[in-house]
Amino acid sequence: MALGLTIIYGVIHVFNFGHGIVAVLGGYFTWLFLTKIGLGLIPSVIIALVIMFFFGLVLFKSTINPLLRTPNWEFSTIIFLLGMGILLENLTLQAFGPRVKNIPTFFEGSLKLGFVRINWHEISLIVIVLIFIVLLNILLKRTWFGQAMRAVAQDMDGAKIVGIDIEKVFGQAFAFATAVTGFSGILLGTKYYMTPHIGWTWMFMGFLIVVLGGLGSATGAVYAAFIMGITEAFVTLYLGSMWVWPIWFVIFVIILLLRPQGLAGGRTL
Amino acid sequence: MNDKYATATTALDIQKVDSFYGELQVLRKASLKLHEGEVVALFGPNGHGKSTLLKVISGIHPAVSGSIKYMGAEIAKTSSQKIVELGIAYIPEARNLFPDMTVLENLRLGAYNRRARGMVGENLEYVFALFPHLEERKDQIAITLSGGESRMLAVSRGLMSGASLLLIDEPSIGLSPITKKTVFGAIEKIKNETDITVLIVEQEVDNALKLAERVYLLKRGQVFLEKVADEISKAEIEKAYF
Repeated sequence: MALGLTIIYGVIHVFNFGHGIVAVLGGYFTWLFLTKIGLGLIPSVIIALVIMFFFGLVLFKSTINPLLRTPNWEFSTIIFLLGMGILLENLTLQAFGPRVKNIPTFFEGSLKLGFVRINWHEISLIVIVLIFIVLLNILLKRTWFGQAMRAVAQDMDGAKIVGIDIEKVFGQAFAFATAVTGFSGILLGTKYYMTPHIGWTWMFMGFLIVVLGGLGSATGAVYAAFIMGITEAFVTLYLGSMWVWPIWFVIFVIILLLRPQGLAGGRTL
Repeated sequence: MNDKYATATTALDIQKVDSFYGELQVLRKASLKLHEGEVVALFGPNGHGKSTLLKVISGIHPAVSGSIKYMGAEIAKTSSQKIVELGIAYIPEARNLFPDMTVLENLRLGAYNRRARGMVGENLEYVFALFPHLEERKDQIAITLSGGESRMLAVSRGLMSGASLLLIDEPSIGLSPITKKTVFGAIEKIKNETDITVLIVEQEVDNALKLAERVYLLKRGQVFLEKVADEISKAEIEKAYF
């Protein structure tokens, strides 16, 4: 979730308010293929991600790319993405109805370690996310595509000078981030329930993480997500889950007062 | 001297180029010619269009009218990434390095264009031979480099593209006399060891005049003087500034 936001913000410098619904769509598509069409888990996820990638690419080419050429494009892009998010949310509502859906967990049962019990599913989520972060890092640091994204993020004129097609990289980064976000929605859909409206809550969480970690920094997002996850666990255990959001915001304010640039702020992709 | 130019092939031929920033006309029918393999210096006062001319050639700033031919092909309307692929490398005054990447990553990105990707190894070798200092710093993050080092990196990144024409904007600006020497020493090596054509834009006359074979003067957006370098002195050039 947060990583998708980070990629888009890091490369295009625009905050994507349509982000939540994109994650929800990823989850819904997977649910659709899994339970309605009856494909296996892995094919469903792959098809959903491919759809999300091309959806992102088409959305970018047809709408955002022309917007980027207008004056004041930052503002119009942000508002456009917000509107697009609301539209998609309601389309999802029409198509799938308001009832709660969820994606079955990957593994049943739990691991017992003394007093604590951890679901195998949660462990698999952690492993998947860790693998994903490693792969993302390899992609960013070791491939021409990843290096081009970083180059555009760090110095747009420099990127042009070495012969990078900026618009093409924008489009691919946007499509890639859409797929990553859709993937995060799938993972969230196995852990929590899904409704067409849940995207806003997810996006808000993602937003907290991204700002806390430092806008545009992938490493910062990982640290921030870790801090928020630990906090959630402890607060739920000792104070009850209704205190999670207030305490997140207290931490958020304190860290931003001490480090306005975020944990790893000032660094780019 | 003139016989040499009669037989040399034209690498770059700029004819009557106009260019604007908004309403402001920066280039007025600017024309200039480069022969293959020569080093040419373009002098002129600040703010009279020297850098703009380089940006127009490399496709980063548009030319409104006029023609730019590179190796016989018209490139005035070609995109910047295509121009890099054709073999023109622009080395901006602002350097435009990628600040959070290492020296090596910056260099590799210099070879981003399709033609250069296969030659990363040999080009790296050449660049490190030219600036051994950069090889020592190859894992350092670009933002931590000194002014001289970043200038060397900018020139090297340009060379990594496998270019046959280098457009170097103010290579000496903001450098100490020693680093200036290193940078111009490297350009001299490029001149002697390769057949790369070099166009240097400078405000400071000394170093570039020593190196150049021909000199152009640009003032108020127009190229108004062309001379063989031996036939003009520093004082004459500087007099023309005012």
